[in-house]
Amino acid sequence: MKNKNITNCRDMRTRLSKTIASFLSFDAVWVQNHIANCPKCQKRFASVGKVYLAMSLLKSKPHCLDLLRNANIQTIDTLAHSVRNTAKADKLRIARPEPKLIERLSPLKGSLANTAACIAIVFFAKTGIFNSMEKFQADSRKAIENYYQKQIGQDLTSELFS
Amino acid sequence: MLSKAQSYRLLWDFAIPQSLSTSQKWVLSIMQSCGDQLITMLWRILGNEQDVCDAYQDTFLHLAHCKHGIKPRNVKSYVFRSASNTAISILRRRIIERNNLPRIAAARKTEPPANDLDSNNLQQQLRANITRLPDQLQNVLTLHDLAELPYAQVAKILGLSEGTARVYRHKAIQLLAVWMNKKNEEE
Repeated sequence: MKNKNITNCRDMRTRLSKTIASFLSFDAVWVQNHIANCPKCQKRFASVGKVYLAMSLLKSKPHCLDLLRNANIQTIDTLAHSVRNTAKADKLRIARPEPKLIERLSPLKGSLANTAACIAIVFFAKTGIFNSMEKFQADSRKAIENYYQKQIGQDLTSELFS
Repeated sequence: MLSKAQSYRLLWDFAIPQSLSTSQKWVLSIMQSCGDQLITMLWRILGNEQDVCDAYQDTFLHLAHCKHGIKPRNVKSYVFRSASNTAISILRRRIIERNNLPRIAAARKTEPPANDLDSNNLQQQLRANITRLPDQLQNVLTLHDLAELPYAQVAKILGLSEGTARVYRHKAIQLLAVWMNKKNEEE
């Protein structure tokens, strides 16, 4: 009971914060309208934007690819002799920064999506979902044919459905 | 008695380096798992390769020798906090050195006021102002924005709640905005 209450409370807080965030974000229409007309807020908005710009400039400046290797070499050289000569230390001496798995897979995004779609189709075919869809389609067609037969007669119906 | 004591002392002297050397092996594992992220964070804080290498070395030396080589309970948080603090203190030193160099200061006086969108100037301003931030705000900002750690992890590292970490980050951005704006008005 207590756990359930805690979970409910957590859910409520998350929902509330999301709602407030969507209402109070810079993209909200009323915020944009206000900023357009208020010089004080324009100034604040510009100064916060400047901080974000500076931050993105810091992030976008890449470092030399050998920096990790150099830092590792410098650090390992100050550790104890027994540690310096291990296989792990040798591996670290030639280490280079590697992109994250998601970044590495991003060029394969299209082909991965295609493969997933193919697997899904094979799965549906194997489980008989497509067969039952065809059966459903044939039954529906038969029902409509019967209806037309009753309403407009056999000849016209066969002409329509042939 | 004296000779016995001396022999114990010898044994003790021999034991400490041994325990350090065996303990330092786990330092390599930490270096392997966090090295890349640490270098990125240090590079963004310092912007100078030699300083990055020095801060990285200091961090791992602290780690290897903390509590006589005993592995801390939360190693990742120890490493990130230590690296961030070391980098900030190096950055402070560099700023003081730069301001004290008479030649550069003289050249600065003759320089025309820097352009708002001059990227180097903007980065330098941001770095200088980050060093002025109160410790907690500074830690949250460096870990979340410069090391790109999620709020949950930042909160765990600093022993805060996630909400508090968000509030601190917001306050840090506001302070930086005020300081950077003030400097521009002065210029």
